[in-house]
Amino acid sequence: MTEQIISRPLAESLSALVDNEASELELQRVLKASQTDPEVRRTWERFQITSAVMRRDMPAFELGDFASRVSAAIAEEETHQPLESQEQEAAPIAKRQPWWQNMARFAVAASVAGGVILFAQNLEQTTIDAPEIAAASSSAAPVILPPSVYQGQLRTVGMQNGYDMRQEQRQIMFVPHQASVPAVTHEELIDYFNELVEVHADHAALNSGQGLLPFARVVLTEED
Amino acid sequence: MRIAPLLRCLGVLTLLLSPAALAASDEQARVLDVQALFAKMSRVSHVLNYQGSFTYEHKDSPNLQGFRLAHWVVDGVEYERLQYLNGADREIVRNGRELSCLTPRDQLLQGRLRQAGAETARLDELYHFQTQYVERVAGRLTSVLQVAPRDIYRYGYLLSVDHETGLILKSLMVDANGRVLERLQFLDLDLNPDIAELEQLPAARRQHISNSEINDCNQIEAGEPEDWRLSWVPDGFVFVGQQQLDGREMLMYTDGLANFSVFIEPTSDLPPEGVGQRGATSLFMSKVMRGQQLHRVSVVGEIPTLAAEQIALGLEPQLETIP
Repeated sequence: MTEQIISRPLAESLSALVDNEASELELQRVLKASQTDPEVRRTWERFQITSAVMRRDMPAFELGDFASRVSAAIAEEETHQPLESQEQEAAPIAKRQPWWQNMARFAVAASVAGGVILFAQNLEQTTIDAPEIAAASSSAAPVILPPSVYQGQLRTVGMQNGYDMRQEQRQIMFVPHQASVPAVTHEELIDYFNELVEVHADHAALNSGQGLLPFARVVLTEED
Repeated sequence: MRIAPLLRCLGVLTLLLSPAALAASDEQARVLDVQALFAKMSRVSHVLNYQGSFTYEHKDSPNLQGFRLAHWVVDGVEYERLQYLNGADREIVRNGRELSCLTPRDQLLQGRLRQAGAETARLDELYHFQTQYVERVAGRLTSVLQVAPRDIYRYGYLLSVDHETGLILKSLMVDANGRVLERLQFLDLDLNPDIAELEQLPAARRQHISNSEINDCNQIEAGEPEDWRLSWVPDGFVFVGQQQLDGREMLMYTDGLANFSVFIEPTSDLPPEGVGQRGATSLFMSKVMRGQQLHRVSVVGEIPTLAAEQIALGLEPQLETIP
């Protein structure tokens, strides 16, 4: 159970990398961690091996292409459902994924994030379960684990790592600068960020044209 | 009916932005209509009475959160209430903003806000707009408006605009890789809420009063922050206000769609530095000296981390005001 050593957000970043869905920030984060933490490197290697099947090409960063990609996405939306089921079989040869698939799959972001944890947790635990989970992850979402399983596993992880849903909402992905001497704990950082986001929401609520909607980004807790 | 002009505007937009019409249409006319449309959409969100529930989710959390929003106007004064339907029993309340008081953003969209005597950028210079298709949201017909940034310093949007009212019923924020950063979607919308009932709604256990007076009314000049200046902001972002909160200086900027805030506070310890993100919100933390005093700097906003970083690194004290 070496994965427990790796913090959960990092595990998610790792998995996002595997899924080619990592943001620049997540990439930075993993690269940085892998330099100093052999555990991260080992996990990354293991992910690499087991994820050979689910590897896909990352959509290129082409800003000028943005509009056409959106148009293509919309043009293809009609056929979106059938495509997904075909793709499960064709996953190994799946090449470049249109970005709209990400959009369509946003609905099941939960299963991706959940799947990540399950994957990491179960990799060594049960070799019997692993292929199933890998299969679920490889199709990058259409397969949602039954809620009971998902919840149960998540709770297990939560208990082990001291997370609960509310805390998770408050999380922020943060990459400190190398020169920086972090004089604060991650918890203090989260508090600080949430405080700023709340004040920023006052401004955004006045200047976004959507009324109080920006407050949806503010995470309130009982203690506030 | 005050909605009539908007409907006409939406109709015009659909026509003008359709690919066929696009080639033939006069670029300038098309462009002005986008700006006018956003100004009107914004106006409508202030003057209409409505109540609805919506869901919100972002890329970094598996949680789907529910909210109920109510907005109503009595005697030219706006009342607004946002209830959290999950987690802590909380609500955000914003009362008493007069309809006659236009926010800097409204002024910006209406082309009435000037910066250093010059005209501010039009939305179409910052984003590319295109109507896409019609979809149903909250059981209502909407037109999906695709908003693609023209540079790497802001995000894109897919906005589903209600045909009848112009309210945005669904909003996706999208990064340059096409990843959806956050999604907000109404499930229902009631345009005739019982105002008497809304006024008597039992308050949630905890209320947060949103500060609606952080910007001046009907500002015509964007102005400059006091004591500090940003040597760089992405094109089109204008300074719209400054406030002091708990010894922390806050500078506010908007481009008409996206917003960011810069927080500056004196500190004696070396502040943590780095970059963070949650959903569509970026955070960049660094430090800056003002005279002999070290300050902690944080840029927070719905902008890419790259933009937040460059903004933070461009913060400098106004030399003449250093004691």
